[in-house]
Amino acid sequence: MEQAPAITEQVALLQERFRTLNKVMTTKASIAQTPKELVWTLNKAKLYRYIPVAPKEKRHAIPLLLVFALMNRPYILDLRPGHSFVEFLVSRGYDVYLLDWGVPGPEDKHLKFDDYALDYIPRAIRKVKAISGAEEFSMLGWCIGAILTTIYASVLPNDGLRNLILLTAPLDFGNKQDITFARWTDEKYFDVEKVLAAFGNMPGDMIDYGAKALKPVENYIGNYVKLWDNLDNPQIVEAWHAMNTWVTDNIPLAGGAFRQLIVDLYQNNRLMLGKMIIRGQRVDLGQLRANLLTVIAEGDHIAPPCQSEAILSKVASRDKEIFRVPGGHIGIMAGGGAHKLTWPHIDGWLGVRSSQKLDSSN
Amino acid sequence: MGEGQAGGSKPLDPLESFRGLRDIYLDTMAKAMVEAVNTESYAKASGAMLDTTLTLSAPLREGLEKSMLQVLEQLSLPSRQDIVALAERFTNLEMRLDDMDAKLDRILGLSHPAQPGVPTESAAKSVAQAAPRVKRGPARTQPASAAKSAARPGQAAPARKAAKTLPARKAARKGTK
Repeated sequence: MEQAPAITEQVALLQERFRTLNKVMTTKASIAQTPKELVWTLNKAKLYRYIPVAPKEKRHAIPLLLVFALMNRPYILDLRPGHSFVEFLVSRGYDVYLLDWGVPGPEDKHLKFDDYALDYIPRAIRKVKAISGAEEFSMLGWCIGAILTTIYASVLPNDGLRNLILLTAPLDFGNKQDITFARWTDEKYFDVEKVLAAFGNMPGDMIDYGAKALKPVENYIGNYVKLWDNLDNPQIVEAWHAMNTWVTDNIPLAGGAFRQLIVDLYQNNRLMLGKMIIRGQRVDLGQLRANLLTVIAEGDHIAPPCQSEAILSKVASRDKEIFRVPGGHIGIMAGGGAHKLTWPHIDGWLGVRSSQKLDSSN
Repeated sequence: MGEGQAGGSKPLDPLESFRGLRDIYLDTMAKAMVEAVNTESYAKASGAMLDTTLTLSAPLREGLEKSMLQVLEQLSLPSRQDIVALAERFTNLEMRLDDMDAKLDRILGLSHPAQPGVPTESAAKSVAQAAPRVKRGPARTQPASAAKSAARPGQAAPARKAAKTLPARKAARKGTK
């Protein structure tokens, strides 16, 4: 007699779980909600400025420009309220700008690192300076955004860059044994010209497949098992939903930039060897003089730690630091522990270097 | 069981041991797969598969492109190449506008040096007031069409306008007239 209500309860619970599952699998979460304004556009690129919320006396004088990777949406930096790096920075008094590269079309297939680092970034920076009134600025580059900011900072070292933060930066491609992507894109097996002849730009779905295939069980099975186990936990479901919205929002990578990524970097390691040529100019990492913080994810399978370590010995910066965080490529910034570990460290490092006047030794 | 519940511990879950076994299996599989994909043989196999797919699909793709081009020509419609060429010219125009904007700012800066500290606040204020804020909710960002029109020559974006309504610059431009 007592079993009937218990079974009904179980069925209702199961129904509710399927409803939740259906919702998170078929809808998009509300993401990127920190108030912002569009201040500049060029081609597909957009520059946003986040509305300051800190009292005037607590704001930092030096603005911060965030530069994310080319093949993913930048709203991972502003994923959801309460779990947003941007929201955290704004609340700490930073004048935050975000460069959104947009989605390249067929007309952008020739865009290269040269264009992004020497056309788009300097122009965006000019706008940042005009709006903030500051002559100096800080920059944070994540993943391929870190490659672009490093190139920019090396080629234009006198542009006013005071602080550079590199997150999970794939800069050194010398250790082919530990970089799975380097194996896959070896010229023996991977014909980049054939791929680009077929598609023009590198399709987002192919990039996504490549990233997921590095850890196939976790990405194709474990991820959904984790969701199923936690369908009754609204906090975990909400976090999963937001992350899934970002993960499935793939964009192509401009053909020219993809060619450079594969040929110049993965196959020939030209940046670290000082042989990379951008607009006819050699990229000399020794010219990079900005204060430098390199954040390394110890469990990163996309840009393993060995790719981000050597930069410190190459640059001319006198103030430089490596910060190692347990976690993966995205998890260290958007995972559950980011607000306890990575974000406060970045704030602590950047805050003391973002005042109007700074000791020239820095 | 009753004692356990009274003590606040979780009720007995008959599937708990199954989950434990499943997790061990998945962990083992995950480690094995990570090792498998990081081998020369996997790189070779995936490269060969991609190469074959691209080789086989190339004639179909080329045929489709040719026939589409013919259809568009017959209908007097622009081809993809035409649109691409237009878009490239449009981007070049945007770049030139941006360059002119930079030059104008430099000229204004030289003729009317801004007072230290003034531009930061006034710029922030005027931009915040004049530019369309992206409000909380699903429709947070400007639609693509708005962004496009913002970049169109002669149709300055609201934010662009805002940047030009900075008090210091306004005064400076009056001075230059």
